[in-house]
Amino acid sequence: MKLTGPLERVLRVLVADPAAPHYGYDLMKTTRLPSGTLYPMLARLQQEGLVESRWEDQRPDAGGRPPRKFYQLTAEGVRAARLELAAAAPAGRTRQVAARAVHGTAGSTL
Amino acid sequence: MTWTQPVLRIAERMISASCRRLPEDERAGYYKEWSAELPAILDDASVRLPILRAVRAFRYAAGAFTTTPYLRRVGRGALRSRTSGRRDGAVPVRLAVPGFRVTIGLFVWLVVFTAVSLGFPQPPGWPATFGLALAAGFDAFCIADIARRSQVRYLPKWAWVLICLAQTPGGGIAYLCLGRVSLARSASPSPAQQR
Repeated sequence: MKLTGPLERVLRVLVADPAAPHYGYDLMKTTRLPSGTLYPMLARLQQEGLVESRWEDQRPDAGGRPPRKFYQLTAEGVRAARLELAAAAPAGRTRQVAARAVHGTAGSTL
Repeated sequence: MTWTQPVLRIAERMISASCRRLPEDERAGYYKEWSAELPAILDDASVRLPILRAVRAFRYAAGAFTTTPYLRRVGRGALRSRTSGRRDGAVPVRLAVPGFRVTIGLFVWLVVFTAVSLGFPQPPGWPATFGLALAAGFDAFCIADIARRSQVRYLPKWAWVLICLAQTPGGGIAYLCLGRVSLARSASPSPAQQR
């Protein structure tokens, strides 16, 4: 797996809170990636068994909205992501970007 | 909140059109997933202006046109990689992302051509102005695309920019067909790719 800039951003957001449900649109916002970049990446990660997706349960307060799909790292994905991110950490520019991405998630979940 | 209805419907149409490129058994699932995100985008309270939310919904839906060709190729590549031992979803280089964009390019070319030939006897008529505006827009689109990418194929970036400017619709179409690096390609490892 090659750690490109966008991939790193996605992994940082996912690994910051591995138990939370990450919806496609929320991932786009926190990583600042367009859907045309994000979804191919999620598909690739899913194929490699690092990310899994599930449908949310229909909530009674959803107001007739269709259920959404969310993404989470698998156990193996968490391990792989931590390893890759630790290896990539010393790069200056990417670290700033990643810090912003992580900070973004932390802010939205608090 | 009636304004969301037409936006929602158009964006759903875009998603369904892009899902038609997928194998039949995958279509419904992806359509369901992506169209379920649209209400969330249109009700996103963190974006204050409704028009910006609508733009976001359209951009989200437009991304599906990039995603589905990738999914289709990876689907095929995955089968092959299991037998040949290829790793990490790397897909062989191929010479095409055309389809949607080339159709737009050809359409622009046709409009410019008719506009210029109609306006020719009395040069600055509205068709010519309209055509020129379209041509300028198309050039801007191509150049923005070149600038955005970390690498382009066959020629250096500045050469593609020159080509786009020199032969207005043709150069841009040539770039979109040949010079653009497809997603699958740019996702696979390459030593020249630094960023």
